[in-house]
Amino acid sequence: MILANLYNKVLGFFRQTEKEAGESSKDTACNRLRVVLMQDRTNLTPELMERMRREMIDLLSKYVEMDKEALELNLEQDGDQVALMLSIPVIRAKDEDEIKAALEAEDKAKEETEECSQENETDETGDSDEEENSSEDDINESETVETSEDENEQTEDDTKTKKEP
Amino acid sequence: MSGRVIVITSGKGGVGKTTTNANIGTALARAGKKVVMIDTDLGLRNLDLLLGLENRIVYTIVDVVEERCKLKQALVKDKKNPNLCLLAAAQTRDKTAVTEEQLKDICEQLKKDFDFILVDCPAGIEQGFQNAVAGASEAIVVTTPEMSAVRDADRIIGLLEAKEEIKSYKLLLNRVRPNLIKSNDMMSVDDVVEILSADLIGIIPEDTGIITSTNKGEPIVNDEKSLAGKAYNNVARRIIGEDVPFLNLEEPQGVMAKIKKFFSGLTGKEK
Repeated sequence: MILANLYNKVLGFFRQTEKEAGESSKDTACNRLRVVLMQDRTNLTPELMERMRREMIDLLSKYVEMDKEALELNLEQDGDQVALMLSIPVIRAKDEDEIKAALEAEDKAKEETEECSQENETDETGDSDEEENSSEDDINESETVETSEDENEQTEDDTKTKKEP
Repeated sequence: MSGRVIVITSGKGGVGKTTTNANIGTALARAGKKVVMIDTDLGLRNLDLLLGLENRIVYTIVDVVEERCKLKQALVKDKKNPNLCLLAAAQTRDKTAVTEEQLKDICEQLKKDFDFILVDCPAGIEQGFQNAVAGASEAIVVTTPEMSAVRDADRIIGLLEAKEEIKSYKLLLNRVRPNLIKSNDMMSVDDVVEILSADLIGIIPEDTGIITSTNKGEPIVNDEKSLAGKAYNNVARRIIGEDVPFLNLEEPQGVMAKIKKFFSGLTGKEK
């Protein structure tokens, strides 16, 4: 009994020092695997994820002012389902005029690109092909986009993007 | 009689597909079932070695397909158990010697005379895999708690899910080392099951007895005392439909064992 206690104490001591030194190799393996499997299952490479992140920023910037650096876009697994998790730290909600202006600027830009594309069709088709490919690959995944607040920052001004008009 | 065709597959090589096949087959036969094992690893056959039948093979699956013999002539009976048969792979030919249709046809014929048809799948996801899976309606995916094996298993599961003929697949976790799991140096059974989100049919501990049993050409399920043997026997019982709890793989924690471990643990950490 005494020996067993001693053993447990000494072992506990070694365990503790190990834990303090960082995550166990098993945790590293699990985390690395989760990431790599997510990529395997969806065909979303890190480059594509980064592109998606940037496009997300462009899209949402029209409606809210946010911390662009801290915007996180991750694939997460919940049981059988793969979810696309988007975390957006909102700095400030934009007022009506700003949103209007942003949308108008966009509409204008669209018209311009449409004109351009008529003159310059080869470029445009190449671009859209690429986008089609990446969306086809995701047919089997049910993707839910969730917006959430980043609790550590901007607690006062945080607004869920959902609530924005 | 209409037998069940179960393919044993893994993606990655060396995780214990063939060992699993030999042991589950032997265990099912010991339980009184009529079992035939098909080795589809053309050019790299090994199932015959694990069963100790390498000297009895006259005809192979390629001889059957190319009509040099009847299917029944090519079935090699096990040394000990008359319920157990092997249809060996050809060692001199490659994966193209047998087609998916031909394998399907062989499975259909064997279904009439056997309770279980176990198909040993080659490693990889190419034609060899496609052939092996062709005639099966169930699958056992063998993996180990290592990253590369789990990743490959995930790929295989994806491919199996896309196959209409495969009605169900189960996960068999091989070469589990409870000591390493305890010290957080190996993914646990729960980790792997969660990551792959698949149903488990067996947990087999790493066992040096597997090496000696392979040396002898004698599946480890024949050794009543072996833990891996017991675990494989349990898998066979689960396949038959029994509700068998998973073995507790923890080492017996007697005082002597603890002292021993204490010292080995200390020396291990000081390195």
